Amino acid sequence: MAEALRIIQPGGLALAAVMARKGVDASTIGERLGLTPPTDPTAARNPSMTLIGTGPGTWLAVGEAGQGDWVAGLEATLAGIASVSDQSSGYVVLRFSGQGAGALLQKGAFIDLDPAAFAIGAAATTVIGHLGVILWKVDDAPSFDVALFRSYAKSFQAWIAANAGGQALPVSIA
Amino acid sequence: MSRLAAGGLIDRTRPLAFSFDGRRLGGFVGDTLASALVANDVRLVGRSFKYHRPRGILTAGPEEPNALVTIGAGARADPNSRATTASLYNGLEATSQNRWPTLALDVLAVNQLAAPLFVAGFYYKTFMWPAKLWERLYEPAIRRAAGLGRLSGEPDPDAYDRDHAFCDLLVIGAGAAGLMAALAAARAGLRVIVADEDARMGGRLLAERHEVDDRPGADWAGEVAAELASLGARLLARTTVFGVYDGQEYGAIERLTDHLAAPASGAPRQRFWKILARRAVLASGAIERPLVFSGNDRPGVMMAGAVSAYLNRFAAAPGRRAVVVTATDSGWTTARDLLAAGVELAAVVDARDAAPPAAADQARAAGAEVLLGARVSAVAGRSVRAVEVAASDGRTRRIACDLLAMSGGWNPAIGLGANLGARPVWSSAIQSFLIETPPPGMTPAGAAAGHFALAEALRDGARAGSAIAADLGVSAPAIQPPPCSDDPRGVAAPGPSPASKSKAFVDFQHDVTVSDIELAAREGFVSVEHLKRYTTLGMGTDQGKTSQLNGHAVLAEATGRPIAEVGTILSRPPYLPVAIAAFAGHHRGRDFRPERRTAGHDWAVEQGARFIDAGLWKRPQWFARPADGDWQATVNREVNTTRGGVGICDVSTLGKIDVLGPDAATLLDRLYINTVSTLAVGKARYGLMLREDGFAMDDGAASRLAEDRFFVTTTTANAARIMQHIDYARQVLWPDLDVQATSVTEQWATYSIAGPQSRSLLQRALPELDLSDAALPFMGVVEFRWRGERARLFRISFSGEMAFELSVPAALGDGLVRMLFDAGRAFDAAPYGAEALGVMRIEKGHPGGGELNGRTTAADLGMGRMMSRKKDFIGRVLAQRPGLIDPDRPALVGLKPVEPGARLRAGAHLVDLADRPTAESDQGYVTSAAWSPTLGHSIALALLRRGPRRHGDRVCVHDPVRGADVEAEVCAPVFVDPEGERLRG
Repeated sequence: MAEALRIIQPGGLALAAVMARKGVDASTIGERLGLTPPTDPTAARNPSMTLIGTGPGTWLAVGEAGQGDWVAGLEATLAGIASVSDQSSGYVVLRFSGQGAGALLQKGAFIDLDPAAFAIGAAATTVIGHLGVILWKVDDAPSFDVALFRSYAKSFQAWIAANAGGQALPVSIA
Repeated sequence: MSRLAAGGLIDRTRPLAFSFDGRRLGGFVGDTLASALVANDVRLVGRSFKYHRPRGILTAGPEEPNALVTIGAGARADPNSRATTASLYNGLEATSQNRWPTLALDVLAVNQLAAPLFVAGFYYKTFMWPAKLWERLYEPAIRRAAGLGRLSGEPDPDAYDRDHAFCDLLVIGAGAAGLMAALAAARAGLRVIVADEDARMGGRLLAERHEVDDRPGADWAGEVAAELASLGARLLARTTVFGVYDGQEYGAIERLTDHLAAPASGAPRQRFWKILARRAVLASGAIERPLVFSGNDRPGVMMAGAVSAYLNRFAAAPGRRAVVVTATDSGWTTARDLLAAGVELAAVVDARDAAPPAAADQARAAGAEVLLGARVSAVAGRSVRAVEVAASDGRTRRIACDLLAMSGGWNPAIGLGANLGARPVWSSAIQSFLIETPPPGMTPAGAAAGHFALAEALRDGARAGSAIAADLGVSAPAIQPPPCSDDPRGVAAPGPSPASKSKAFVDFQHDVTVSDIELAAREGFVSVEHLKRYTTLGMGTDQGKTSQLNGHAVLAEATGRPIAEVGTILSRPPYLPVAIAAFAGHHRGRDFRPERRTAGHDWAVEQGARFIDAGLWKRPQWFARPADGDWQATVNREVNTTRGGVGICDVSTLGKIDVLGPDAATLLDRLYINTVSTLAVGKARYGLMLREDGFAMDDGAASRLAEDRFFVTTTTANAARIMQHIDYARQVLWPDLDVQATSVTEQWATYSIAGPQSRSLLQRALPELDLSDAALPFMGVVEFRWRGERARLFRISFSGEMAFELSVPAALGDGLVRMLFDAGRAFDAAPYGAEALGVMRIEKGHPGGGELNGRTTAADLGMGRMMSRKKDFIGRVLAQRPGLIDPDRPALVGLKPVEPGARLRAGAHLVDLADRPTAESDQGYVTSAAWSPTLGHSIALALLRRGPRRHGDRVCVHDPVRGADVEAEVCAPVFVDPEGERLRG
């Protein structure tokens, strides 16, 4: 049987805020990236990158840090059409998986996480327990990724411990 | 024992033990505390608020005004619990309230003798003079004497949960109408949530002997609930929807463990729900209206519907010989229930001239008197022993009984419908108020919409559910309401019976009588809202659920207006009391608010740092060492180490913003008073921003990392505000500019390395970098790689010493601080905290929070000449207002005490030595003060009228709150190294 709830911190992620230059539309950026950024609060994904719509002309790009400077590469790719800010350390990303994942996050987020309303690729910039988060649905396990500013990680850990009801060991956030 | 031998929805195989005021009693699973008390013949359960009159159980529902008890003991004692809705559990301890020394013998019952004095507005009229005694004497005394239960005063040991839900339809109340509405919607495929206050679904079907679909009503309700669950509806029992809010948001409280003897450890006690519902059905039913006559508050006088509930649902007889007094057919239903339960029915008193014939025949056949056109005029006994009935022939009859069941008709329970401000509208058809313009998305149905009879309620619920499904675009076959037994109701006008006098109570919880309301009307309180505040009618834990309408009817009569014109009050959330802890949930104690930690937090903890809150951030305040003695010695040591050697400080909490794009420089020129566009790549510049109104807003540094790439810092306190300001400027003011911005505060961990040895320390730590003045001059910036990641080194100083700010990605921050102190060991480097940082910035005269206080201009802060004349910037125009360029304005100066040992304190006011310290002679005030270990005396920054022209003058530093006046000399605000030689090394 699948675990009711599993919380991990995927390692080796590179994160960047991508902001379109004036007059540049998503499809132009999409041509350079090979992945068209969403123009609504959803996540678009290909094997090398996820782009989450966080505002008009603004995305959170998530990639694998891997070899070299992924963010510098992104910056070079988008030179002249988008500004890029490295946020690899700015956010902590946690993955909540299993049947209990939606129920736990629903306790914090006043966003309808029902599969009919929040399908794979849906994203929201919202708050959980007074903490600002970017939340997106990864798969139908279901798995949700939650990005939050690093300095709040301990408070988020306390919120998880208080709300997971003993279903999961509190995650240790690095 | 008054437990009936058979029947009811209790489980006689599962007995429960409980106590009331120490008496050990028994009940069964399925009982409420009230039903168990009824079954144990307990009639006296509380004392009234003002007169301390003995009171019994009045109702069987959440509207209960009297039967308020404290449940539990110690920290878990829960005062003002309604016995009528508290589920019984094994070991429940209940204690009566508002009595001393005991419930049976309450000394303050003497208040009744002084009743003529305790009229409406009594407190306002009696305790007026001397006014100063109000807080010290009157109010504490009144609060002790009058009141409800008391809090334990101990911290709440329980946890409280929070959850959110979304649905197409929220059904509030799972009675006949609510269940039909839910069923219609769920069968049509809608997402449905059903919330009900009770432990089980069914509403009044649980308390009455009706049949629905040829089954007992309770069975039918159970089957519908099961079908709803199978259709995916969410059924929330023990859940009170307490408020309706804008945007179709509903607040609800689910009681999770209040009914359990031994909740699982750590299990939350209650859950606060926020529910977003596209549609809602208000199926909250109706509340039976008391009759108003002398002695109607005596223990043993009970609502007829409650009598039926205790008999039918709980198999508990509230008396042995009953009289029913009614104004509608409802009372006759109770008369039948009494007969069916084997209780002796002495009489049925009906105010009308005609009674339902079959019911009257049945009563007569059972030996009961039937008195038509009659009313109860008095009640004998402290607890009911007999009633006096004014018969239609004018004669008064005395009928012995120990239970008086009263029924004055029904009021739709529409409180939630008025939450968003819709005034209830009078309906003469049902002689009560209805919601005509419900909140958006809400449909009242069933008894809450005035459809009191069962068949009507079932039909109305089905109609509401089907209509909502159709409205939401779901086509489904219309649902047919099931057949049910006859349920005659009828209506009656509210208000007092004419024969009533003396203590005819309208509001039982707050002891408001007919004469109180009449007096208030004579004194001019003729609005229902004023009447409430003046007489306390409808205040308290029950918010007048049984009393409002009768009170408003009395007011209507007293003022000669129709009740439709008098109106009724608006109910505000919460509909029923909610524990404040349920709103707080997880957010109390340590988790009261989120905490922000820098990357080096754990390291600082290891070093014994004491932390101070800076907004949500935890910043090291200082790092005490055993030899220091006190905090002042610690701070002195940290300052001296930094000025004499090298100190290291975590400055990661400063706001950091990337401002990017071809027009980034143009935008920054418009934000800062000084010019940024001329900055070369690899250079940083100090800058000041004004608000639109010309006052200084925030300061910081802007660094140019590329032609189209700036890195801007803000103060810790203003980080979010400046981010907003920048976004507002680029998105709203100048959308034509091609500029992007985002906060990178969290991306970088930054340490300041300051002091004459700072360069040597850094050179050891980063041997590959060229740190010479030529390569990295004052206000220079270099980017490099550290441990494979991007890093930045800024030659920036806040302390006035040669200093560097080193930034690495926050994930490496902990490693950075450990590396720096490894390298610093050879230099005896010491960490310094926010306090030493503050001392050094005061020594250098840099403005901080005390000076950037929203009321100072750039010129006030000595930065008037920084304001560019060659460009426009936010705040430029309004900074030229006469008041802001007045040369007499208080402006920044330094102060040093004439007596070197004297201490200056922030907040103290400045007056001329010759003047008496008054508001008129005020010359300014101290904005920041510190002990300067560098100079060996106290120093301060201050805003002083004409300050810059008064260097060398002496002023009186007047501090009436904390100490004696100090004489101080006005000086330049830069106390240490005014030439800035140390900065450049």
